Amino acid sequence: MTITIRTKDRDAVIQSLRAGVVPRTGQHLIQVGRTSEIETLVSDIDRIADDGSAFRVVIGEYGAGKTFFLNLVRAVAMEKKLVVASADLNPDRRLHASGGQARSLYAELMRNLSTRTKPDGGALGGIVEKFIATAKTEAKAAGLSTEAVIRQKLDNLTELVNGYDFADVIAAYCRGFEEGNEQLKSDAVRWLRGEFSTKTDARQALGVRTIVDDAAVYDQLKLLARFVRLAGFSGLLVSLDELVNLYKMANTQARNANYEQILRILNDSLQGTAVGLGFVLGGTPEFLLDTRRGLYSYPALQSRLAQNTFASGGLVDFSGPVVRLSSLTPEDFYVLLQKIGHVYASGDTTKHLLPDQGIYRFMEHCSKRIGDAYFRTPRTTITSFINLLAVLEQNAGVSWQDLVGGIEVVADTGGTIDLIADADENEEFASFKM
Amino acid sequence: MSESSASFYRLDERIQRFIWAEGWESLRDAQEAAIPLILDADRDVIVAAATATGKTEAAFLPALTHMLQLKESGLIVYISPLKALINDQFDRFDRLCGQLDIPVWPWHGDVSASIKNRFLSKRSGILLITPESLEAMLCNRGTSVSAIFDRSTFFVVDELHAFIGSERGKQLQSLMHRIERAVGRKVPRIGLSATLGDMNLAAEFLRTGEGASVAIVESRSSGSELKILVKGYEEPLVIRSGDDDEEREPTTPALIATHLFKSLRGSNNLVFPNSRREVERFTHLLNNLCLQQQLPNEFWPHHGSLSKEIRTETEAALKQQSLPATAICTNTLELGIDIGSVKSVAQIGSPPSVARLRQRLGRSGRRKGEPAIFRSYCIEDALGGQASLATELRLETIKTTAMISLLLEGWFEPPATNGAHLSTLVQQMLSVIAQYGGATISRLYTLLCAEKAPFSGVSKEDFIVLVRHLGQNELLMQDSSGVLLHGRVGEKLVNHYTFYAAFVIDEEFRVVASGKTLGTIPISQMLTVGQRILFAGKTWFVEEIDETQKTIYVIRTSGGVPPLFSGSTGRVHTHVRQRMRSLLESNDVPVFLDEVVRRFLAEARQGYTDRNLGHTFFIDQGKVVYILTWLGDAANEAIACLLIQRGFVAIPAGPGVEVQKGKHSTEDVLNALIDAAAVDDPPPLDMLLAEVKNLYREKWDWALPDELLRIAYASLYLDLEEALKWTKQIVAVNPVN
Repeated sequence: MTITIRTKDRDAVIQSLRAGVVPRTGQHLIQVGRTSEIETLVSDIDRIADDGSAFRVVIGEYGAGKTFFLNLVRAVAMEKKLVVASADLNPDRRLHASGGQARSLYAELMRNLSTRTKPDGGALGGIVEKFIATAKTEAKAAGLSTEAVIRQKLDNLTELVNGYDFADVIAAYCRGFEEGNEQLKSDAVRWLRGEFSTKTDARQALGVRTIVDDAAVYDQLKLLARFVRLAGFSGLLVSLDELVNLYKMANTQARNANYEQILRILNDSLQGTAVGLGFVLGGTPEFLLDTRRGLYSYPALQSRLAQNTFASGGLVDFSGPVVRLSSLTPEDFYVLLQKIGHVYASGDTTKHLLPDQGIYRFMEHCSKRIGDAYFRTPRTTITSFINLLAVLEQNAGVSWQDLVGGIEVVADTGGTIDLIADADENEEFASFKM
Repeated sequence: MSESSASFYRLDERIQRFIWAEGWESLRDAQEAAIPLILDADRDVIVAAATATGKTEAAFLPALTHMLQLKESGLIVYISPLKALINDQFDRFDRLCGQLDIPVWPWHGDVSASIKNRFLSKRSGILLITPESLEAMLCNRGTSVSAIFDRSTFFVVDELHAFIGSERGKQLQSLMHRIERAVGRKVPRIGLSATLGDMNLAAEFLRTGEGASVAIVESRSSGSELKILVKGYEEPLVIRSGDDDEEREPTTPALIATHLFKSLRGSNNLVFPNSRREVERFTHLLNNLCLQQQLPNEFWPHHGSLSKEIRTETEAALKQQSLPATAICTNTLELGIDIGSVKSVAQIGSPPSVARLRQRLGRSGRRKGEPAIFRSYCIEDALGGQASLATELRLETIKTTAMISLLLEGWFEPPATNGAHLSTLVQQMLSVIAQYGGATISRLYTLLCAEKAPFSGVSKEDFIVLVRHLGQNELLMQDSSGVLLHGRVGEKLVNHYTFYAAFVIDEEFRVVASGKTLGTIPISQMLTVGQRILFAGKTWFVEEIDETQKTIYVIRTSGGVPPLFSGSTGRVHTHVRQRMRSLLESNDVPVFLDEVVRRFLAEARQGYTDRNLGHTFFIDQGKVVYILTWLGDAANEAIACLLIQRGFVAIPAGPGVEVQKGKHSTEDVLNALIDAAAVDDPPPLDMLLAEVKNLYREKWDWALPDELLRIAYASLYLDLEEALKWTKQIVAVNPVN
């Protein structure tokens, strides 16, 4: 049976994998293993939709599939009518700062706000519009004016920190909507996205005296979670990746301030005070376990995030806040390569370029080249595999037996972005281990 | 303004108006020449001239003109070694730049955060900053560096001559390089310098690897007047019975203090006694004199062992303008803290080097019409009894006289540009990791040690050895993706406020005998176990040297001629020693000496002839042989190392090398020397420096692996070439023994 895969999905998947990045859509086509982990996160999402909260730290080595996993979770959340905000941390974006880096993270989260209808980000405007539409329908049903319904809903928000100003901004948007004042609408959206940098500007544009600055980021997210529920969505899921950037921070005080912020978020979600808000953080094992500069260096976090002592030696426990993504097994990897081959052939089993035997030989070849790394951190292996398929596809007369032996595979170096070029000259340094 | 000044008309109109308003009649030479070179911002320029000859204007008038012509506002980064200089410049620029609507931003430790924040949001105008503050900016705001310096149009480095050849200069080169890398383009550099002998050294410093492309503007205008007086004091002999362990108080300091009191009271001055002990002694004497005459105290001490409170008191006393203040200090007041100009400078004992003397003198007579005034005090023991060679030949006085005469000829030690400065490399590596939040070893090497980078002399193998060693000492660590981060120790040090300075000031060794600390002594030469040392008027034998604690353990020894080695703050150049020798051999008497010093000079010359030192190169002194090389400390150390390698205890001391004979004879020593000369290839540093201590000279030297430490040390402090040349020459002249 051939289930045809749409070209759009196929291309998205194949091209991202070849470039070594995670595909934004179509993850289900290449999802392998990890069933319990996925179930855990799905139950979290259900809990968020049900007025609860969630906090998970997803831990995995470089290239073990963290980002893929997080993207998959995002896709599931959107299906379940949650609003998803995601962002990657970097030296300029962190959870706590005094120089604008936290605001920068918030702005990025807002830019990437996605819903089922707008899965590629930029959904903030749409959410506010949905809020107004929902209010209108309710108003009609109850026989009240839209104004009154909106005001009543917004009153809900005012009990949170910064709630009054948030409500004022939404009200300004509604006014703009009614009057057809595009400027007011776009200013309101700008304020929500954290793009006002001075209070004076905000006051002139919208009449509110506060802006989203570094100190207000988490409070703003809580407000947003409540707001999206008022707009008819099930809740807000915030997905933060590359938390290893906190681990790499050189300034001890700043790093600890960020961990303090994570503790705050953790406490709120475990105690259930943040309704409809879920956090999923992705990081490396060092980020969690290093007692000198990782999360474990902060004693309160260490006790809350500690492993279940009974769950050792093969026993699992997925109820704690930490979800460890174990590396793929060779068997899993085999299935993965099969699926990739299947996607490459657009779902047509007759067009498979490589028989199962070929996949097996390819894995053998990689194992010889880079040892275990080929399935533990499969990023580069997958790229090589797709390159192999590409050559097979475009060169009709060639047989896979000839090519498999000559494929170049290198181990994954963690994918750090080099800001300074010409690293090729220094081969002596390429494999430097202290 | 004369019509022939082409440069004047190329300046912006508003600047021209400013010049008219200030009443300047013409542009100075340096300014005429520099303006056309700087206007287009397409090359590096050095402006070399004496103090107060308008160097700053020579750089800024065209630089500001260029900035005014830009569409988007630019940024001039002005780097100065001292906060006080920055404060002065700020006052000067404020008026001119106010009229041009260009903001001026001082940035150093004493500037408030609000001013700094305003600069960070504006990022244009003139930024006045010290290297340490710049380092802090790169470390703490690493991610914003490319944004902050995006509009840089020029780097202006003031007091360039003070930076060349020092760790701070290396750090400065590295900072400018890192900023250029962050913004992705070359930023033209302007250096303001006092005149140096070889300006090419300065050019190569300003732009590593491209020194030839730097334009040099030199102005040979006459310097200001210099008044010199050298006074001599003789410490009389005291006959003591037996083995007197009590340290007797010398009597000359009190006399010197009286003269200082008379001459320096009522104005601002600096007094340099060459060691902490002496600072304490003279401060005490001068304070007593003030007390006796019921006058308010004007004399303040300053050195590295004093508590911060006392040092701050001294600095405050010097900064305030209403009351006169004189500081008695070690070199902490050369670099560490800064004050305006002083009326005169006094030196007790010989200066550490001619360059340092010049630097110290540069503090006085900065205003037009004011001469620089210099008083030098030479102390010698009276002849007789078992006088050491130093006393017989009045070596301290001869050294002072030689240095002053060289100064008057305009000579000074050429800056040591061969220094490896691996200590600064360690600091920069830690700083780069802080700036970028981690870096791979490949990126570190490319940024800091590639061709045209500041540390380009370091090979890849050496770099790997260094990184491994730093990893072992927990300064660095590697995360699972191969990125280097700060280790436990590294993180602590980087987060401490002292991290930003690349240098240490004024470290002296503690002298401990039988568990009791006798005092401290500055030592800038190598040390080796078994050598003799003169301290507190007695002879000691060095038993143990602890480099990390900077302590030497000594035991009393007696008999024999007193040793020449008594510690010192400076290293002497061969040229100075050669001048000393020619002074001893000639009959001229320099005019700036007083009668006592003239007598010393005559006695020294007599001693020189008596011992026939014009024709011998060694002196047999019983248990020791003194090899008289008349070479500088670097060459003498090399000779001492060669002898140590052959089993002797040898140490550079004064104008030669003191070798303990032990069981050997003088002949054996000389044969060993000849042996060393006969070798064609110089021995490797590892072997040469194996038994030698006091190699930790720079701030981060303790973190280096042994082999790199020796390379770093030898690059600055060992001159094997000169040593071998001398030895071969001697052997040629004295073929048999």
